[in-house]
Amino acid sequence: MKKRRSFALCLVLILIVGSLAGCGKKNSNKDTSSNSKDNAVEATTDDTSTDQTKEADEQTTEETKPVSITVWHDGNEAIMQTIQDYINNKLVEDKITVTFEKKTGLTDQLKLYGNDSNNGPDMYFYAHDSLGMFAEMGILSPVTDVVDTSAMSDLLPMTVDACTYKDTQYMIPVYFETLLFMYNKDLWEGDMPTTTDALYDYMVAHTDTKAGTYAVVNQHSTAYNVAPYINGFGGYIIDKDAKAGLNEQATKDAITYNKKFADLEADGDYNTVTTLFNESKAAAIIGGPWLVSGINDAGINLGIKSLASFTLPNGNALAPYSGVQGIGVLKHAVDSKKEALAKVLTAITDMDLGIALAKTANCAPSNTTSYDDAEVAANEMVVAMKETAATAVPMPNIPEMSAMWGPTESLLAAVNKSGEDVNKAADTYQENAITAIKDMQ
Amino acid sequence: MSTKKIKKRIGLFTLNVFFIIICFVGLVPILYAFTLSVSGDGGALTSKMSILPTSFTLKNYAAVFREKPFLLWFKNSMVLSIGTMIIAMGFAIIAAYAFSRFQFRGKRKVLLLLLLLNAFPQILSMFAIFRLFKTLNLINSQMGLILIYAGSMCIFSIWNMKGYFDTIPIEIEEASKIDGASNGQLLTKIILPLALPAIIVTSVMVLIFVWNEYLFATTFLLNDKSYSLAGGLYQLQADDYTRSWPMFTAAAIMVSTPILVIFFAIQKYMVSGLTAGGVKG
Amino acid sequence: MKSKKKITPWIYFTPALILISVIIVFPILYTGYISLTNMNVFHWFDYKIIGFDNYQRALLKIDSGFIKAVFTTFIWTALNMVIQVVVAYLIAVGLNTPGLKLSRLYKTLLMFPWAMPAYVSILLWRVGIYNTEFGLLNKIFVSLGLGKMNFLSENVPAFIACMVLNLWMALPFMIMMIDGALQSVDRCYYESATLDGAGFLVKNIYITIPSIKQIIAPAVIMTTFTTFKQFDIIYLLTLQKGSLTGSTLQTIITYAHQNAFVSNNYGLSSAVSIIIFLIIIVCSLGTNRGVKEEV
Repeated sequence: MKKRRSFALCLVLILIVGSLAGCGKKNSNKDTSSNSKDNAVEATTDDTSTDQTKEADEQTTEETKPVSITVWHDGNEAIMQTIQDYINNKLVEDKITVTFEKKTGLTDQLKLYGNDSNNGPDMYFYAHDSLGMFAEMGILSPVTDVVDTSAMSDLLPMTVDACTYKDTQYMIPVYFETLLFMYNKDLWEGDMPTTTDALYDYMVAHTDTKAGTYAVVNQHSTAYNVAPYINGFGGYIIDKDAKAGLNEQATKDAITYNKKFADLEADGDYNTVTTLFNESKAAAIIGGPWLVSGINDAGINLGIKSLASFTLPNGNALAPYSGVQGIGVLKHAVDSKKEALAKVLTAITDMDLGIALAKTANCAPSNTTSYDDAEVAANEMVVAMKETAATAVPMPNIPEMSAMWGPTESLLAAVNKSGEDVNKAADTYQENAITAIKDMQ
Repeated sequence: MSTKKIKKRIGLFTLNVFFIIICFVGLVPILYAFTLSVSGDGGALTSKMSILPTSFTLKNYAAVFREKPFLLWFKNSMVLSIGTMIIAMGFAIIAAYAFSRFQFRGKRKVLLLLLLLNAFPQILSMFAIFRLFKTLNLINSQMGLILIYAGSMCIFSIWNMKGYFDTIPIEIEEASKIDGASNGQLLTKIILPLALPAIIVTSVMVLIFVWNEYLFATTFLLNDKSYSLAGGLYQLQADDYTRSWPMFTAAAIMVSTPILVIFFAIQKYMVSGLTAGGVKG
Repeated sequence: MKSKKKITPWIYFTPALILISVIIVFPILYTGYISLTNMNVFHWFDYKIIGFDNYQRALLKIDSGFIKAVFTTFIWTALNMVIQVVVAYLIAVGLNTPGLKLSRLYKTLLMFPWAMPAYVSILLWRVGIYNTEFGLLNKIFVSLGLGKMNFLSENVPAFIACMVLNLWMALPFMIMMIDGALQSVDRCYYESATLDGAGFLVKNIYITIPSIKQIIAPAVIMTTFTTFKQFDIIYLLTLQKGSLTGSTLQTIITYAHQNAFVSNNYGLSSAVSIIIFLIIIVCSLGTNRGVKEEV
């Protein structure tokens, strides 16, 4: 009697579980169909996408069939939209559709999906500094396998170098960014100094921390924003042989020099410094083109100088890192979509796209011919970045760089915010950095 | 008599003041978000800001609806939460019941083991689950995500409800057993109504967990049409450089409000069957 | 008859246990497996089993910094739990005062911090409350004539700042748990106690606390584990890349994250994870006693 009862209960359980699972499945299937109805291009869920990849295989032989290419990025959506629209417009005849999808934490996502032909993207759009890591992981295809890069002779050599890892080019550069000296023309008094020492004197005279008004603000404890000093002093965060340089004398001198400025540059948190500048409480900010839309919204009368126009006490110009934004191809996509990918890669280096990016988002295009356009040539910001490009140092793209950001920023924060001794802190974090690099192996 | 009444009045008044202060202090960060969300399109923070808004506009809320598939995300969040709630609670209720009612060897060890398993940081499991789900073809499927959530909350739910079940006097069941009720009937007819507050409390916890989870949601769901609310918000506004504060805060307020509505609505069911039934333990 | 009785509970457990095995147990075993391999950026797909090398390296990470992190983690967990339970208890009892008409509204408002995704709350606090220029606290300080203060640049203020935020985020849960548990306390007890002339304190110590102890114990134990492995708050408030605040506050988990996970060496970080897991198990043998009482 009791036995039968528990057996029945068991059966009921199985039924419940079964029906739940069934429900769920139905649900997700329904979702898939509604998704594909919404947007026929996006092939994502299990069975549909395998079908589509199969289709894509056939497409390479018959060119009239549509190909869809998914690109993951972690950047500004307006910029990506400009690129997406341009390429789709241009390749409409070839029936190639490109979709840019934003993925926060792109690096971690690519670690998981980098070789997943069912769910992963075909290409990715990102800064060049993580290139070495992806290349070592073996998820990237050299772009030279897909397209003949010799036809792209108009690209700035610096940007091509940045996209090259171990003598192989893995990315096509689209635009690049450097830090700039951006100032509020209504607040800045007198001529712009030409040396950093003169700049410091100006800051001392025009900063009142108590009242919350500043001459210059900067994210003074991030590696990227202190790099202009470090590079200018002849120091380095990591060299091309993956040797950490945090306790090199030149690096330490640069950090000491930067600390002087940091004391007059507010807290250095991104939100703080941008707000100070946008509210006219700071006369100048060291930042990049990503700040412009906020600055314009705030109605600031913006002036721009290249960081290269400031000379350090040793006679060198400030030398910021340059970050090249480019597009790379994932290995698995090459087999099925090679021709379409080649067309996308070619289209993305077009002069016209460069012009469009410069006009809509103040990007500095990699394609040098874009600068011939009158409006681009008149864009103060783009021109300043092009000017800086001559002295800018491309961010290292070796995988070990990913282990350097943490120790470098900890060092800067320790010196600037917690008031630790530079020599002692540099030794500690150099040690940390060496361990971190060793840990990668 | 009347002094007692006055005393009680004063007590209640003080208590009300106390709670108004507590609520206000607790809500300051939320008010801050609200103020940002209704203060036009300044684009960022401001030093002038007071806690209460000086100007009022709903255009940031409208922008969220216009520019993001907010309603779709809302639907996805609902599907995920309800699916997880059904599975996690269904499995946990019967398991908790068994832990509470049956005496068997190794019971304490199993419970302890479950607790220890729960101590493994979930974020570390992500990679393994990814590998497994890729093989099972559960990537980018709501069912897959529901299973992850249900699994994550199952141990918690079992533990939490077992505590309540233990307080329900076994005499009630024994009486029903004499009346010929089966184990299944016991569970549905007697235990569940008596344990209703526990079940509601635990369900709400499961719901809030799913509602606010973003790491798994953004990793296991692949396009912005399948995100949950928290996932979509995270995906679009997570880093400093691309965040539009007014829209972000508007979306954050809208993500949180449904939880509060649900919470407010269910409170009247949180009165125990035990106290209502007047059974003494 | 007897053997069947042994099996019955397991039939009830089966669905839950299957789910738990897949979602919780399997990943732990898999992490154990990866910890024996050399999976890293340079061997992403072609990794192979290399034995216990990773453990040897992981154990080297147990240095003075790690010991400090363990110490911090214990203080963090203990302080948070004590304050959380006491404050939540008082608030919950207050909410259950007979005659408090607005209690439903208060309860709902108090749940608000919990209804926000964690990263949103942390961001709001970092920018809205603790910020040196615009944060509410500093605005209050300035209007009182005090200087600006950077709450997150030194370890002790940063610890307190993180703890306040953690309490803010975790209290709603605890309040709700205790509030739920209070519903099961028989009102008759209070009535007879009142007739006997018992005061507030007596009622709480002799009636309320003993009645709800058993119900909230699981929640308290669970929360202890959550607090112990709390990562988001300390990380996002003080250690986030690009906005380090200068404090070097570390718990076990953030320490492991900074010292193993940023390396992208999955083999090594898995070994570190397993070691931390073992540490947690050893630590909870202490709580074991408390658990024994409850089961």
